[in-house]
Amino acid sequence: MHMTKLRALAFALSAVAGLAVAATVRAGDLLVTGAKPDRLYVIDAEKRAVKSEFRIPGANGIVGAIIPSPDGKVAYVVVNKMESISGIDLKTGKEVFRADLSKPGERVKNFFALDVTSDGKELIVYELPTLLKPSEYQVEDPRFAVFKTNAGLHAKVSRSFPAPRRLHMILMRPGGKTFYAIGFDLYEYETATGKLVGTHGIQKWQLPAHSQPDLLAFWPVTEPTGVFTSPVISEATAGGAAALKTGMMVLDVRAGTLEFNDFEDTSALIFSTVLSPDRKFAYGVYSTLTKVDMASHTLAKRVPVDHTFYSINVATDGHEVYIAGAMCDVGFYDPTSLERRANLKLPGCGDQSLASLRVIPAR
Amino acid sequence: MSIGAPRLPWMSASLLALLCFAANAVQAAEAPDGQALVRTYCSGCHLEHDGVFERISSIRKTPEGWTMTLFRMHNVHGLALPEEASDAITRYLADTQGLAPSETAPSRFALERRPNAKDLDLGPDLAQMCGRCHSLARVALQRRDADDWLKHMHFHVGQFPSLEYQASGRDRPWWDIATKELPPKLGALFPLHTQAWSDWNGRTHREPTGHWVVVGHEPGGRDLVGTADIASDGKGGYTARYRLRDTAGRDVAGDSHALLYTGYEWRGRGALGGVASREVFALSEDGVRMSGRWFDPEHSEDGGDWTAVRADAPAQVVAVLPRAMKAGASGTVTIVATGVGPASSVSLGTGVTAKVVLADDGVIQAVAEVAADATTGTRTVSVGPAAGTGAFAVYRKIDQVDVQPSYAIARVGGGKVPPVTAQFEALASARDAAGVLVPLGPVPAEWSTAPFDAEAARTHDEKFGGSLDAAGRYHPAGAGPNPVREFSGNNTANLKVHARVADGASRLDGESHLIVTVQRWITTPIY
Ligand code: HEC
Ligand code: HEC
Repeated sequence: MHMTKLRALAFALSAVAGLAVAATVRAGDLLVTGAKPDRLYVIDAEKRAVKSEFRIPGANGIVGAIIPSPDGKVAYVVVNKMESISGIDLKTGKEVFRADLSKPGERVKNFFALDVTSDGKELIVYELPTLLKPSEYQVEDPRFAVFKTNAGLHAKVSRSFPAPRRLHMILMRPGGKTFYAIGFDLYEYETATGKLVGTHGIQKWQLPAHSQPDLLAFWPVTEPTGVFTSPVISEATAGGAAALKTGMMVLDVRAGTLEFNDFEDTSALIFSTVLSPDRKFAYGVYSTLTKVDMASHTLAKRVPVDHTFYSINVATDGHEVYIAGAMCDVGFYDPTSLERRANLKLPGCGDQSLASLRVIPAR
Repeated sequence: MSIGAPRLPWMSASLLALLCFAANAVQAAEAPDGQALVRTYCSGCHLEHDGVFERISSIRKTPEGWTMTLFRMHNVHGLALPEEASDAITRYLADTQGLAPSETAPSRFALERRPNAKDLDLGPDLAQMCGRCHSLARVALQRRDADDWLKHMHFHVGQFPSLEYQASGRDRPWWDIATKELPPKLGALFPLHTQAWSDWNGRTHREPTGHWVVVGHEPGGRDLVGTADIASDGKGGYTARYRLRDTAGRDVAGDSHALLYTGYEWRGRGALGGVASREVFALSEDGVRMSGRWFDPEHSEDGGDWTAVRADAPAQVVAVLPRAMKAGASGTVTIVATGVGPASSVSLGTGVTAKVVLADDGVIQAVAEVAADATTGTRTVSVGPAAGTGAFAVYRKIDQVDVQPSYAIARVGGGKVPPVTAQFEALASARDAAGVLVPLGPVPAEWSTAPFDAEAARTHDEKFGGSLDAAGRYHPAGAGPNPVREFSGNNTANLKVHARVADGASRLDGESHLIVTVQRWITTPIY
């Protein structure tokens, strides 16, 4: 019922946009991933084929977090040992934006925490700066740096404000007035002023009879629901005996709600997760593909995959689950049986490593 | 003249060449002046204020510590340092800003690269904050005050920003602890200025040249006895010639070329029985004893314990081999001693008769017979005027077998990184009349492995990890994903290692824990 409503809505929207799509045709998503040493791939999810392969200038190492612009036209990619953000036009492959965070005497690393405002005009980038003095390093306080996305290839910081240490994720809230930052805790900041407007416990989170939770997520996936999910491990101490539990952190970036629920005694490592469009299941990946029932907070299904994968995503209409990250395979899986339908080897077979796997819905 | 000019943007190569030339002209035929070299190569970044160089003058380190730092100056900061200059600077800094013998004593296992050594216990906070990446010995082998420890924390996070995100880094406010609590603590534990160092640094030290008696032991392998002759090489270093014999009577010749840092840190390179070896020895404060470990430069886990005592030292028993004999047994005993004449009489204590058959340059061989009713216990051994207790024992039966190390790590090998084996040794002991355990030394054993737990059994770790040979050495399997393992896992394993020792008709068992894990890509002089 919910599902049909969504489909109808999607259909209506595409009809408005003048794209007459037959009801039976799938979503037509594009997948975006990156690989060593400098590659960005756009994949046609239905054809299961690479549509474009681009070179990111000055990538210099691994290709990291990938943030698509709200209109899906540009991907902002963390490159150059986390010291540069490169904006690549997904049609032409041209670099249209570049922010080199470091400058002589100051090295700045990003750690994959960045996002673009809902209007696409600004990038909020987490910066971990170190002054490189002649005979010593001096670690400076971290900050949020704001760049205008139209600043071209030599983008300079337009404003910046203090940030906590050890952030690994920034998620823009709808409308772009505030954004979430995930680190020791979940913080909410005003985009214009950098004012901290809220803190929700993560490290300091204590479910009754649980130890401090462990959460580390470098995969900024909120599609298709606007909900960010991540596996969380903690020790449940109920009944005296401690047991490691894996739970889901569910941060509804639109609604502004945060939830934690255990779903199993930890029996497999999970790197990243994604929520299905109907929000009934979460899919997670590492050396297994895991399906979690989000209503009953139970493990719904688990299958081994043939090597470790770091990143996961799901089709806009939920008909397929995609896994990538580490090595050069992109796997296409059945969301119900978790059987592999296809595997795509990226040309050149570069290691995707920590690159995000992003889904850009057809427009 | 050609020098490798440091990459200093504000100092031209020709200016450097000039400085260097000036320094050399002053030194003329003498050994390179360390301070002048520091001025030449380091002061572009480490500004000099009246002979005090920023950072450099605020730290004391071991030779290995200085070597690691210089490597980083090259590798990370782009300093081009020719080998001779690097050697001379290391030497100068280790000599003038080193650690006293008493300061390195608790951490020598790290300098000696002892495999599976137990790390220092500096409390849980340092273990968790620092011990997860490298040994705490690496920390304890440096001396600086709180302000420079703080700078070093800045280096850590500036250079390894992922540190705060890794396990045991992200679960705590690592940066806050490292910059607020730890610098004063480290500065108090390991300060720049100590009485031990000023005492040691102010003294003149005895040269290692001379004639020495030597005892060596390779865990799971040979015992070596013999002599060493050490002479000056005329260039500030030393040459050593070894004339050794193993317990089977085979000659093992060796030699080495060594530098003595800080008045006591012997670092040699040479060969022992035709196998390349590195030596990390320390001279005792009085200069009459040298002890440490030698190892294969490519496989630091392969090596042995080394003790040398000056032949002209006061008469003493250095070692007895074997370390114990059973009541009723007879055989040859080798005694290494100093201050002993060629026709010395020998006694192995109550219940043992002994007759010298050979006395040659500190190595005495005797035929010994232990009475059938001899009691369990250590014996006082004397050879001529030399006497010692604790080197030799008699036992009636073995009461306990311990496998050493009690916890070991082996690493799979392949590609550019060779496997790291793990050597086990079965150590026997017996209870004396008072119930006290008397150590009897290493004994032969029958070796086997078993899964450590149910999970290891399920994943067939025994089959995949590697194999244990008859001498108690574990040889790990090849590295990389193994397609026949679950999830194409690596050949890692979690195993129990069993030693079964035969003592007459009875069998005694000992056990250890072995982890076979993945390769380590970087090996550093101090682990
Ligand atoms: C190109 C600049 C440069 C040159 C040349 C240079 N250093 Fe450094 N050195 C640094 C910087 C930057 C640091 C701080 C970061 C670090 O610890 O690596 C440092 C740190 C140090 C430290 C402190 C390290 C610690 O243990 O905390 C020592 C000691 C040192 N250098 C010794 C030397 C010596 C000796 C030389 C000359 C042989 C030298 N450096 C040459 C740049 C340089
Ligand atoms: C994330 C891993 C990591 C942690 C945690 C860590 N270290 Fe290190 N440390 C290193 C590495 C890597 C080096 C080698 C640096 C080089 O020379 O390239 C090092 C080197 C050192 C050295 C030798 C430096 C020199 O130039 O001789 C000291 C001393 C040291 N660490 C102290 C500490 C202390 C104290 C702590 C805890 C507060 C700590 N470390 C925590 C990784 C770590």
